[in-house]
Formats: sequence, C-alpha cells, structure tokens
Amino acid sequence: MSPITLIKCTINGVELEVKQGKTIIEAMSENAQRIAHYCWHPGLSIAGVCRLCMVEIEGNPRVQIACNTVITEGMKINNTSAKVRDAVKWGLDFHLINHPLDCPVCDQAGECGLQDQYMEYGKYDPEMAERKQRKRKVVDLGPTIVLDSERCILCSRCVRFTSEITKTHELGIFSRGDHSEIGTHDGKPLDNKYSLNTVDICPVGALTSKDFRFKQRVWYLKDADTICNGCSTGCNTKVYFNKEGVFRVKPRVNMEVNGHWMCDEGRDTYKFVNKEVRLLKGQKFANGTWQAEMHAGAAVKDAHLALSQASGDSIAVVLTGQHTVEEYEAIVSTFNDKFKTKNVFHWVNNKESFESFDGLLLRGDKNPNTKGLLDVLAKHGISSQWKNLEEGLKSGKITHLVVFGPENLPVFPDLQQNLNIFATAKNLIYFTSAAIPQLKNHASSNQITLIPLKTYVEKDGTFVNFQGKAQSFKRATTIVSEALTGVEAAQLLAGSEIRIKQVTEKQLFTSAHERKDQVQLEHRKKNEFVFNRGRL
Amino acid sequence: MATVNETKSNQQTSETKYLSEFYHLPEFKGIDGYKKNGGYVDLEKALKMQPQQIIDEVKASGLRGRGGAGFSTGMKWGFLPKNDEPRYLLCNADEGEPGTFKDRMMMEKAPHQLIEAMIISGYAINSKKSYIYVRGEYDESINTLTTAIQEAYKAGYLGKNILGSGFDHDMDVYRGAGAYICGEETGMISSLEGLKGQPKLKPPFPAVQGYLRKPTIVNNVETLAVVKYIIRDGAAAYKKYGTEKSTGTKLFSLSGNIIKPGNFEVPLGYPLKDMVYILGGGFKPGRKLKAVIPGGSSAPVLTAEEAEKATLDYECLAEMGTMLGSGAIIVIDDSACMVECLANLMHFYHHESCGQCTPCREGTGWLDKIVHSILSGKGRMQDIELLIKIADNMKGKTICALADAAALPVLSFVTKFRDEFEYFVREGKSKVKGVAYVADHTH
Amino acid sequence: MAVVTKNNDNAWYLPGIFTGLVITMKHLLKNLFNKKQMITLNYPEEKHEYSPRFKGNHILTVKKDGAIRCTACMLCATNCPADCIKITASEHPDAQVEKFPIAYEIDMLRCVFCGFCEEACPVDAIRLGPEWQTPGLNGANFIYDINQLAYRPALKGGIQSVLDDQDRHKAGI
Repeated sequence: MSPITLIKCTINGVELEVKQGKTIIEAMSENAQRIAHYCWHPGLSIAGVCRLCMVEIEGNPRVQIACNTVITEGMKINNTSAKVRDAVKWGLDFHLINHPLDCPVCDQAGECGLQDQYMEYGKYDPEMAERKQRKRKVVDLGPTIVLDSERCILCSRCVRFTSEITKTHELGIFSRGDHSEIGTHDGKPLDNKYSLNTVDICPVGALTSKDFRFKQRVWYLKDADTICNGCSTGCNTKVYFNKEGVFRVKPRVNMEVNGHWMCDEGRDTYKFVNKEVRLLKGQKFANGTWQAEMHAGAAVKDAHLALSQASGDSIAVVLTGQHTVEEYEAIVSTFNDKFKTKNVFHWVNNKESFESFDGLLLRGDKNPNTKGLLDVLAKHGISSQWKNLEEGLKSGKITHLVVFGPENLPVFPDLQQNLNIFATAKNLIYFTSAAIPQLKNHASSNQITLIPLKTYVEKDGTFVNFQGKAQSFKRATTIVSEALTGVEAAQLLAGSEIRIKQVTEKQLFTSAHERKDQVQLEHRKKNEFVFNRGRL
Repeated sequence: MATVNETKSNQQTSETKYLSEFYHLPEFKGIDGYKKNGGYVDLEKALKMQPQQIIDEVKASGLRGRGGAGFSTGMKWGFLPKNDEPRYLLCNADEGEPGTFKDRMMMEKAPHQLIEAMIISGYAINSKKSYIYVRGEYDESINTLTTAIQEAYKAGYLGKNILGSGFDHDMDVYRGAGAYICGEETGMISSLEGLKGQPKLKPPFPAVQGYLRKPTIVNNVETLAVVKYIIRDGAAAYKKYGTEKSTGTKLFSLSGNIIKPGNFEVPLGYPLKDMVYILGGGFKPGRKLKAVIPGGSSAPVLTAEEAEKATLDYECLAEMGTMLGSGAIIVIDDSACMVECLANLMHFYHHESCGQCTPCREGTGWLDKIVHSILSGKGRMQDIELLIKIADNMKGKTICALADAAALPVLSFVTKFRDEFEYFVREGKSKVKGVAYVADHTH
Repeated sequence: MAVVTKNNDNAWYLPGIFTGLVITMKHLLKNLFNKKQMITLNYPEEKHEYSPRFKGNHILTVKKDGAIRCTACMLCATNCPADCIKITASEHPDAQVEKFPIAYEIDMLRCVFCGFCEEACPVDAIRLGPEWQTPGLNGANFIYDINQLAYRPALKGGIQSVLDDQDRHKAGI
C-alpha cells in the first residue's frame, strides 16, 4: 500500500482534508455533515439505488450521488443548494408514492428514515392521485423476522447484508420494476445467527423483529450504551428500556470489536435482566424449610456472621466469567485478605465449545469477562482446580461455599448439576441475579442463602473481552433496586458498613400514577371474546 | 422530390448498400457463400496488422456506436487498461428498443459478417473470448449464429491459432431472457454473469471492470460489423460516406404508418423527409405526416415541421433536441392519437424498469398510471404539468438511461402535442379518434 | 370584597323582602302554568341531553364488521396529559389489520376530558361522546376496558368509525 495521501476539498463551504479514495458520503458522514441517504451503509458495498444522496459538484451541471463519487483534489461539493434540495425532495417523493400510510401500526415509526427525511425534505403537498401498488404484508421470512413488502423501499441493504456479511444469501429481490419485492427462496427462510441486523439496517419498517414487534412504541424507550454480556467478543451495544424493563438490544459501532453488527443471541441478553425472571429478595433455607423472604442487606449480614465464624480453608468461593473486573477484584481480595482463603474456583460452562468461533462475532466462550477473571485470579496467585472443590465438598473440608452465580442461565448447561454439587455444602451462600427455581424443592439439613445480585445493565464496570481489550460501561437502568452489585456484596460480606442508595420500586418502574391493576398481557384471555367479535 | 438544402444537393434517392451489399443473396448466410463474396479476406488482412493499428484505423474512421448512445468506438477501445488481463468482447444483440429490427436482419442474413468483424475486433483489443448476447425472442438469429460459429470453428477462423497468426479466440452465443434493460451494457454484463439483469453503478466502467470484473468492451452488432469494412477499405474510404462528424452509412429501421416499412441503409446525413417519402413510400392516401420518433422509442419525438428539416445524423438530431439512437424511425401519421402513443410507450417503460433506482422504479409506474388515467377520461388538468415535473425529476437521476428513456418521450410528447393532452383531459376523449379508452390497470 | 356599612337607622327592610317574594312568585306561577319552559329537570328521572359535540365519556368506534377500529398506535396514550390511557397491542391474525389492542383501558377518574386523544387519533377510533354521567358506588371500577368503551349498552352495538380500512384499501390509499 502506498502511504495515505490527504487531499483537500470543500464541502458546504468547509475546507476539509480527506484520505484519497474516500467517497463524498464517507467524508460527509465522518465530518458530521448531514446528507440524506437510504441505501448507503458504511458496512456494506455501494448500491447507489436510492438516489437520495445528491450533491452538487462545482463544474458539473448535473447533481451526482455522493455514495459513488470519489473525492478528487480541490473538489467543491454542496448539498444545501436549492437544486440539491429539490432533487432530494423529489427523490423522497418517489420513495413515498407507493409507500403505505402504515405509520400508526408500523413499529419503525419514531425511528424511521422516511419520517426523518420527510421532516427535512418533504414535499408536504402530495400529488400522487393514482392507486398505490399493493404488495404482500406480514410475510414470515424466518424465525426472527417479519417482512412488509409495501413498506419496503428496496434499498437492498438487507440483501447486501446476507450476501456480504453472513454470506448466507437468503434474501433477494424478486420481480422487477415497481413489482419488486424482497423475498426468500422457497424453503430457505432467513434463518442465520445475525438475521436481526437486517432489522437494524432497514431504514423503514419493512423488516421488523418478531421479538420486539408491537411490544413498545420506540418513543417510550430510552437507550443507554453498554457492552453485550452474551459472549467473550464483547460487542458494543445499546439497551433500550423504560420503566417497565429492558425491551431490546442493538449494536453500536466499534470497528475494533464488532464493526456495525451483533449476533441474534446477544440480542436476547435483555431477557434475563427483566424482573419476571429475577431474584427480587433475599431468602434463606434453614431447618429444612424456606424462610420468609428478607431484605438482601439482611441476608448478606447473616452470611457475614456465618462466614466470620468459619476458618480460612473451610471457605470456598465460586466465580463465573459473568461479572465485572471490579467485582472480581473486590470479591477475591475480600476472601484473600479478610477470610484468608485461596479457594477461589472458576466455574467454566460449556467446556467443549469454549474455544470455538464462527468467523464473524460469535464465540464459544459465552462469558463476557473470562479473561478479566483469569487476570484477577492470576494477580492474586490463585490457581485452584475445580476438582479440588468437588473433593473438598465431598470430604467436608469445605463447609462454607459462596457462589456468584451466572446471569445468563441458558448458556450454563451444567447449572443443575453444579447446583446439586454446591448444595452439598453445609452453608451455601448463593448470589444470583436470576431466580433459581431449581433450588426451591431442595430438602436437606444444609443451609442455603439466596441473595439477589444486579445484572450488567444495572452496574458500572469493565469487561475484558477475548482480545484482552478492557471495555468499561456505565449503568443503564435499575430493575431490581434491592439487588447488590458484586462490590457491595463483597464489602458487606467483609462486614463493612456501607450505605446503599435505596430507590423504591415506585420511583423506578412505575410512574407515580401507574396502578397495580393495569392490564397485563395475560389479560388477553379475559377480553378474548371482544377481539373475536368481528369475525363471528 | 427536392433535397432539403443546397449543401446536400447531391443526395441520392436510393439506398447505399455498403454493409448490406449482399444481404439479398440467400447463400451469404452460409460460410461458402460468404467467402465467395469477399468473406474472411479482411480477417487475414487484419491478422497481419498490429492490434494498435486496427484501433487507430477505427479511431480515424470516426465510427460511432450504432446501438443508441453514439459514442466513438475507437475511443471506447482506447479506455482499456494497458495491462494484459483477460479481456472480453461482448456483442450487444439484445435489440430491445421498440422500433428497431436492423440487428436481427444482420444476424439472420449475414452471420459471418458479424463473426468475422468480431474476430477482427477481438484481435484489436486482444480479447480471447467473446460473447454475442442475443435477445431471447430472436430464435432464428440464435440458430443462424450458432450454426455460423460452428462453421467458423470448422474452417479454422475461431479457436486456437487462427490462420496461423498465433491469435486464439473463442466465441459463444448467449441467449437473453427477454428484458429490455439487458440491452444496457452493464445490465447485459450482469445478465451474462448469471445475475439479475440490472445495470451496475458506473464508475467503474465496463472497459475497466466489466464481465467478471475484467475489462470488457460492449459494442452493438452493426458497430462491430462496420469494423470489417473499415479494415477492407481503410478509414479514409469509410469517411467518404456520411457527414464530417457522422461518418459512414447506417441501417435505419423504418416503421409506423407508412407504405413501405423496412430496413434501409443510407449514409448518415440523409434527409429524414426522403427516408419517409421516398424509401418509405409515403403515407396511405389522405394521410399526412404528424410526427416522427427518429431514434427508437426513447428518442424525443419530432413534429412534422421539424421532421421536414431534419437530416439523419448525430449532430442535426441532437440540435433538434432528439437523438439518432439505434436508428429506429417510427413514423406517425395524423390518424394516431398522441396520448395513446405515449400511453403505449409508458406501459412499455413501466413494464421494463428493472426496479433498482427509486426514481425510475416509481416514476415509470407513476407516469404510466397518469397517462392511463388521462386515457380513460379521468385525467385532471394538473396531471399534464405533473407529467412534466415527474419526467424532469427522473431525468439523469438514475444509474442507467432507462429513466431518461422514459422521461424524454414524456417531455417531448407533452410539450409538442399539449393541445391533444388538454383536449383529452377537458373532453374526456381523444381529439383525433373522438373516443375514450378503458384504462387497463391490470399490469 | 369591600364591606359596605350602612346606617341601619334609615333602613327599610320590607320593600326588599317583597321584591324577593314577587320574583319567587313570578317564577312559581310561570313554571306552574308553562311547564314546558321550565329549566329545572327532575334528575335522575329526567336527564339533560348535551350536544353531540359535548366531550363526555369516551367511545371506541368499531368497523363495519363490529371489530374494534383502534390500531393500537398509542398516539392517544402518548398525547394524554393525564396519562390515563393504557393500551396493550398485539398481532392481529388478519395481515391487513396487522396490529390491534388486546387491552384498552381508560382510568375515568384520572381523565380530564380534554379530548386530546380524539384529536391525536389517526383513524377515528376514539371519540368523546355526549354521555356525561360517570356514577359509581364506592369501589366501583372506574377503569373502563374495551368492553365498556366500545360495546356498552348505550352504544347499541358500537358506533361505526368513519374511516374504514376496507374502504381505504379499495380507494388505493
């Protein structure tokens, strides 16, 4: 490669230096200049079909598309002139003449490319008096995606995604002219591990995610940046949430880690965050029965008392790769310094596929922070073997077991088996964010304490991904306010008095006037006859 | 019949058979008959020349593409990158332009003429492989070409080491699947690659990255055939035909409301009027000229007055705001309703738009719907202005020229025959025929 | 209000009393002999009918086939200043309808009857009707569900929306 040469150009009166070979649209988007576009996507090839990214280049009488025009030295580019605006206005109108007025029922409304551009370039005086082209609606493309052909503007982003990124070639454009439709071949549904990216890149509501469909209007959602905890790739993501919980996960651009994409599995990571599947309160199993639920703080205090009576080697700690570096540091140093034990064990899930990689993003190590855990353990000189734990429990050498359980249960196939092992400890202190119904029918003379933990969207922290890249993230929202972070848990276990800011349930998840009796999805049955009324 | 102006007073009133000299001979179709009439002599001559010499000769002849755009052939060949990659020569025989049927005649009457010229062109641009992309409906052309290619292989004009010159060349016929858009060079390349026949973004141009992302030259049947004659007679002799800037002869496909439609070869610069009245035999009794579409359906229409003055060369027609195109002259007499004519054209472009670029995909459909609603008597006065606005905004905004091809007739029809459109909207019936039509929205 | 003190020594009370009695008697006699023009109603036996434009209790309109018109776009809920509308959307088996509310609830005690929901609605699914009584015993359910909003007896099987999908589709919109 020849050394990168910079060339000068002027965009909308601003002089810029750009790398040679850049297209106008790349230069504009990198320099925060607004330009209308649908088919161009930085992660995909150039299609040049939406004809919306029109610019005027000095010396050229015709407007040009910015996505396929490479900048040359001294080029003077303008996309704010009346000529360009008029071209974009008409380009947008061509997109809209056959677009159905579906905004009320369309999931994309609120984040729709057509709506956005219409606010800026709309004709506001529709001249289309003819009949619109009708196409298929609610087409099932595969297990994750629903297509609405009428809304589609045929930008071909999704087609290019399946042919260039996943290379699975499921999608294609069928027919021609204004009959063109996106579709799949017979018997070949859109079913790959990255299919939901097509929903993200769809600039309109043509492709919608079955999972998110009709759950929320997007303007009810807030978003916050975080790091996916689905696997060791550590994709940069955004979670979308409101007072009712987290509803979806979308990727953020980070060219060093995940580029523009993320996998479908990672998009499910919001599911174990929501209240329905969470452990909300501390609870204790003693004297053969489950006691009344108690405050998490009280439960930890009990655990602290139990631990301070035990001696060094009879205490063991089990950690998974699902927590943050800060938490590992706090936990490991607490047990090292305070309780003088080196029995810290690393619970490795799905050992067989741990090292696998699908070539794009998905890694077999389904923990976001295995590398971080190993680093902390190495720093403290801990090298405990899993079999020592099993032996220790069997021989009764380990009496007090503290487990920081996983958040993402589905990726722990050995959960039940290991819980059975843990439960043989005389006193099991199990920190978990997920409700563990598996322990509910437990019956033995051993003592178990369940203490709620916070999930990754509820705390600040750092994950170290497979590359060794440390990525910090901030708290997005709080879902179970009583739950503790690992750091708080460690401090409380050590007996320090900390002040945990309590947020009442009401302040967080219900607006002041939400009522307990408001309708839930389960009420569907109650009103069933009403919905069927029209088809009697 | 008086000639149009003094400088062209020496115009003859019959065809100039240059390319089509032997087309009347049935034996010209076979290799023996072809060789008897001077066939494959020029190939031998060309193989003794340097490739660059041939390119220079073609450049000097001033030959311009006969397919529609009228781009200089020699210049196009000059765009090929210098490095020695596999290069491809594509013959564009996907003659889809409504009104054009000259290539078909050339392929059916003289397949060897095309094959010989293609081998010469292939030698000139150093291409070892060429394809003839024939329109799917042209059954006979495909059969004739396939037989002719087999004959040429047998006679040693194709294959390895042609005539002992060390030059290898292979040729294949590819049958199109019936899309107008595949007549566009990048659309044709997509189709040949096995993809959906959709034009590709330019740049890169095919001469740099074409078929299989390798340098590719795409030329019309007639353009390639002419190369043989340039080699035979030399550029200077070829330049004697035609005008200064539009050199040579050209086959014109004459159709429409005239007595004698057909293909006619005349030198460029020939008066359109003579073409219609002498070669075409004029009109049925009682009819008179109303309009002429001089270069295939996508060329803007000429009114009778303009047609009287026009000469058939690139410059004169460009001056009149239209184009020579593929040389398909569609003559319209005063029995035709221009609204109906435009509706017919719009139906065609709506049907043939590939659907890639939004302005064309949606615009052709919109135009079609509007013209048909006028035709069914439901038009509104503002629709006429709207037609112009839509066409204006489709023009030059798409990857290929199909949007322009749909927009230009609209602009010319509506501006030049506005009274007919207004009458139709006002009265709900045709000015010429006095009836309305039931618009067919099933397409 | 300023307090006006009068010199009580010079006060004449009787004229004022009689004037008042005359007015009362005038109205009594007028009402006795001309009952039709009497303004007072015998509520609850008699009820006042407000104009159809009165912003009273909400009505969810229905389509021709009797199914609920609402598409669950949530614009009313978004627009509601009192935040009293709660909609749960779901997928309709008919692809042309696509989205519909499986639950639509209005908290009538919270509602301020501003009519913003009516204005926000893109499909004429919600209207504020002329009914104005919202009585209920202590503990009655003031959260109206679809059944009450669209199919309460007073609506006689539902009010038809002016905007029908079938018509729109036929018109090619």
